[in-house]
Amino acid sequence: MILSLVILYVVSLVYLSITERFRNFASIVMLQGWLLFAVAMLRLHAIAPLELLFIALETLLFKAILVPAILFRIIRKTKINRVRTSGTSQFHALLLSLAALGVSISVTYYVADPTVDPVFFGVALYSLLSGLILIVLRSRLFSHLVGFLVIENGVFLFSTAIGVEMPFLINMAILLDILMSVLMLSIFFTKIDGKIHADDADSLTNVKD
Amino acid sequence: MMILVYLLLSSLIAVAALAARGRRTIHLAGTLFYLVQAAFGAWLFAGGGCDGSAGALFACDAAGTLFYVLLVLVSFWVFHHSETYLSECDLRQTRTYFALVMLLTTAIAGAYFASNLAVTWIMLEATTLCSAGIIYHRRTAQTLEAAWKYVFVCSTGIAMAYLGILLLAAATKCESLSYDAVAAVAAQGSPLYLKTAFLLILCGYSCKMELFPLYTVGVDANFAAPAPAAALISTGLVNAGFLAILRVYRLLAGTEVFGWAKSVLLIVGVLSLAIGALFLRRTNNYKRFLSYSTVENMGIAAIGLGIGGAGVWAAVFHVVCHTFIKSSLFLQMGVVRQVYNGYRINRLGDYIRINRVGAVGLLAGMVVVMAFPPSPLFISELMILRETIAAGKWWLVGCMLLLLCIVIYSFCLRMIRLCYQPNQDELHPTKADKALSWSALSLLLAAMVLGLWQPEALRTLIDQIAAL
Repeated sequence: MILSLVILYVVSLVYLSITERFRNFASIVMLQGWLLFAVAMLRLHAIAPLELLFIALETLLFKAILVPAILFRIIRKTKINRVRTSGTSQFHALLLSLAALGVSISVTYYVADPTVDPVFFGVALYSLLSGLILIVLRSRLFSHLVGFLVIENGVFLFSTAIGVEMPFLINMAILLDILMSVLMLSIFFTKIDGKIHADDADSLTNVKD
Repeated sequence: MMILVYLLLSSLIAVAALAARGRRTIHLAGTLFYLVQAAFGAWLFAGGGCDGSAGALFACDAAGTLFYVLLVLVSFWVFHHSETYLSECDLRQTRTYFALVMLLTTAIAGAYFASNLAVTWIMLEATTLCSAGIIYHRRTAQTLEAAWKYVFVCSTGIAMAYLGILLLAAATKCESLSYDAVAAVAAQGSPLYLKTAFLLILCGYSCKMELFPLYTVGVDANFAAPAPAAALISTGLVNAGFLAILRVYRLLAGTEVFGWAKSVLLIVGVLSLAIGALFLRRTNNYKRFLSYSTVENMGIAAIGLGIGGAGVWAAVFHVVCHTFIKSSLFLQMGVVRQVYNGYRINRLGDYIRINRVGAVGLLAGMVVVMAFPPSPLFISELMILRETIAAGKWWLVGCMLLLLCIVIYSFCLRMIRLCYQPNQDELHPTKADKALSWSALSLLLAAMVLGLWQPEALRTLIDQIAAL
């Protein structure tokens, strides 16, 4: 069951690389939130009920509902619907994403060690690379925001595979994850659009040498 | 337990400052905050927490104690200078700024005393939140851009570091993430996982230590934040990044990947030194100029760690002394802004006639940061060079000397220009606050004293920190 959820998570990352519509970005972030909720419930069901409740609420309310809702609101407010057409083509983005998947599988296979769950390690690495690719390839800030959320999701997925000091670590990481994401989203939502009127990273070049 | 009480109390005072209805109340909150810091410092020196036992989350050790004392000193000066610097800001902005400075000081102290990899990470993430608010203090498009970049890059970097920490935990199969527990079993971990974990952690924390590759956000942060706050960010916060990396470095000391980790630090150190040296020539803003100097100095510290042996001692000493010097220079820059209302290198000049004390402070700072005697950096850089020569790494010696020459040339050119070049016609300098220049100078004098004489207590503390 967990494996199929993780595979679906990987598919969502591949789809993320080819889609150009921001509505799809937000939908994928929502889907990943639901997947993480399911994975966390299945893997961590043995922990103390209160802690499990906290993780469940965080993944469900925050990752699956609140953050996607804010993303949809940003799309409505800024009226930006898709990544810039002058950017990297879908085909090249897909190639790069598949190359990242290949690298992740190779690294996981190469460093295979019984102490670390190879599936979770590989997917976390792919998630990290996917987020970075999205940040580098796409010029609009919204894509960067989604890239950051994808990286955070990958780290969260990997943290569910680690048994040490659970669930304290996850709880604290989640708490800060919430704070940082909300801070970034609020800066984007309330400040950047009003103050800079910038929707792409090319406009943010005033602070430089 | 005592550290938790301290963190809670400090945070409460900082939050209370947010509700202040007047400048006197903010000043009162600040006084109370630094009284708590002084009381905690006294407790540390009375040996209250330094019994060698590590708590689950926080512990008092030599590194934490030494860097905490430096942090409180710098933070106190920053608070004092900020009161004048922000005298024309409205109350809402002022109280937010001071509350954030206090919260940042608390979060940095938490990072110093963390005895657990995850707690260090959490505290460093907390510093991002506080710093972002300080960077955005002026509420302009430029500061918003800098704050956005800072939050975005730091969060991404810190997320990568967290992945590294999780990997380290998984690789060592450790029951706990406390430094002691992980160090005890690190040697049994898979070398490849340890290497990957180290790379991720180093890359992530480089945004805090202002090292290659994520040094850019630190430079932007110092540029956008008010000058006194930049003094805190480029010393206290940078030290937190240094300490976090040093603790992971010590974890790996007993493993077979230690040599590899040292090589990575050497490469990162040389690249940081090169970037710092080259951008010192390129930038046209005095605050960015000082920030690149921080990148360069952290590069030297990373090289010290990479060389190992006495280089580790020298690296710690270098960072300690850099704290005094760089905070002094940033605080002097705050006075420069008071005079010229800007930091543009190609327009400012004649500072020696406008504010003699400040100009002497900057020129003396220039000599000290260039590591000319009686600078303490002379000792640390000489030790690192000696270790490098002893290790037979002549390419590194050549690189370092060449880049240090560029640094010296850039510093001389820029600082002498500020003090002696004719001022631009359009500028109408205002009166400088000489008392602030004097107080900033006192930090530099403290550094120069360390260059001539290192107290036994300091040497002992650094010995303990550098012991692998």
